[in-house]
Amino acid sequence: MISLNGLRKRYGDRTVIDELSLDVRPGAVTGFLGPNGAGKSTTMRLILGLDRPTAGTALIGGLPYHRIRNPLRTVGALLDARALHPGRSGRAHLTALARSNGIPLRRVTEVLETVGLGKAARGRAGALSLGMSQRLGIAAALLGDPEVLMFDEPVNGLDPDGVRWVRDLMRSLADEGRTVFVSSHLMSEMQLTADHLVVIGRGRLIADAPLAEIIARGSLTAVVVRTPHADDLAVRLGAAGLRWERPGENELVVTGATVEHVGDLAHEAGIRLHELRPREASLEQAYQELTADSVEYGARRERV
Amino acid sequence: MNTWTRELARATAAEWVKLRSVRSTWWCLACMTVFLVLGALAIGGGTVTELVRDGQPGTLSASDPVTSAAVFAQFGLVALAMLTITPEYASGGIRTTLQATPVRGRVLAAKALVLAPVTFAAGVVAGGVATAAVHLVLSAEVFGGRVTAPFAEVVPDLLSMGVFFALVSVTTLGLGFATRSSAGTLTTAFMLLMGVPLLLVMTGTSIGFEASLRMPLFAGLAFMGSSDTPMGGAVPYPASQGLVWLLVWTVAATALGHAVLRRRDA
Repeated sequence: MISLNGLRKRYGDRTVIDELSLDVRPGAVTGFLGPNGAGKSTTMRLILGLDRPTAGTALIGGLPYHRIRNPLRTVGALLDARALHPGRSGRAHLTALARSNGIPLRRVTEVLETVGLGKAARGRAGALSLGMSQRLGIAAALLGDPEVLMFDEPVNGLDPDGVRWVRDLMRSLADEGRTVFVSSHLMSEMQLTADHLVVIGRGRLIADAPLAEIIARGSLTAVVVRTPHADDLAVRLGAAGLRWERPGENELVVTGATVEHVGDLAHEAGIRLHELRPREASLEQAYQELTADSVEYGARRERV
Repeated sequence: MNTWTRELARATAAEWVKLRSVRSTWWCLACMTVFLVLGALAIGGGTVTELVRDGQPGTLSASDPVTSAAVFAQFGLVALAMLTITPEYASGGIRTTLQATPVRGRVLAAKALVLAPVTFAAGVVAGGVATAAVHLVLSAEVFGGRVTAPFAEVVPDLLSMGVFFALVSVTTLGLGFATRSSAGTLTTAFMLLMGVPLLLVMTGTSIGFEASLRMPLFAGLAFMGSSDTPMGGAVPYPASQGLVWLLVWTVAATALGHAVLRRRDA
């Protein structure tokens, strides 16, 4: 479990993280989303004790990172896959990490097999492709068989097979009861992988909720009804305080209501329905609405 | 073994793996050895030629020019020491290191504990090679047979050179943590170990001269008992005082590096 409490980080007069409080729970994949410059990587560095917070605390299992004994056995993190000596072999890189935390050396072979990097790990790490480096970084995170895992953009540079492999890995790690905290820009990927989402923008918490709830909040989430008595139903919906649109003669799109609610209203009025179905927004749409005000490096929209 | 020692031992074991698994380590050691052999031959050759030309009596210990050449060959080990830390800052690998060993002082201590014995051994071995080369070449009849290799002089010379190399390497490590860049480390190390003391001597003032005597260049030469130094003869104070000044610089650079490492975000 990762707990952030009133976490704040300021560089000079620029506040990068502001009053961030949240818990990342075990047994689930928690997606960490936000526009570029929102403070995702900074948050991860603060959790790992690499940066010192201006205020607040970041605790893992109740302890600040530097108080954890042999931390690689408790927390595995992949921040930057390219952050290693290009002249050292992947295997030597992992061997050094294993030595530093008293991890048996057979784990090096095991994790290299897990990530499918057997032979490539013998050559210079600088010669690895971005996808291969990413696999090596994941191997390093798994090395100590840790309870808590953090990944910053893990699918960056991976091929489609690799992407699916990472997705399955995250799921299985969470199913084993571990805490999995993963940042990504790929919404479609997050929609498939995450159970819970934390969204930040300009260093502030925007949302901290289950994936389904965040998607349901999107304005494109609606109930679609087809009925020969659209006029009658529209009146009923209006009376119940619901907003609707009428894209076609026999069709209504109702926002802010559940399928059950709309179905019950129609039933009470004795209105015949030909179709009643929910329309789900994608995470991407919900996310864009959430972060619309906090995109720091967005392209400016020209007014036509 | 208590927890503190065990964790330091683990961090040190990791640093040893890192040091031996990059090719640059071996290149730096090879360069240092070549510098040392060539430098010792040049300096020893000059001394012997002078002895013979001026018809002076006396002999030269084969290890004496080696200690004089050590202050040039040290830069091979400066590079070695620097390369144990600054590439980590360049690549971001320092973050991985600190994830594995989050107590920052322990990272510096572990790197120093690996560097010191390695550079000490490198000094003794390369010094032995250079001494043998000097003896082999300069004891020839052409050079008047003035070069000898008395055990009682060679052994202390080689050991003190190993200590000098170890202290210079740890000093450079401290500068590496303080400047966090290769360019910064090379510049400050060169100025501290060679540039500033020579400039101070060249000012020709007694203050400059006195100050330069307390810097690592002349302190090291005094400690190793070199008879041929950039100021002409031997350094005018005992070896023990040279060791004290070397230690002062090593402690100062390490403390500076430690302060920066503790204070700054990685």
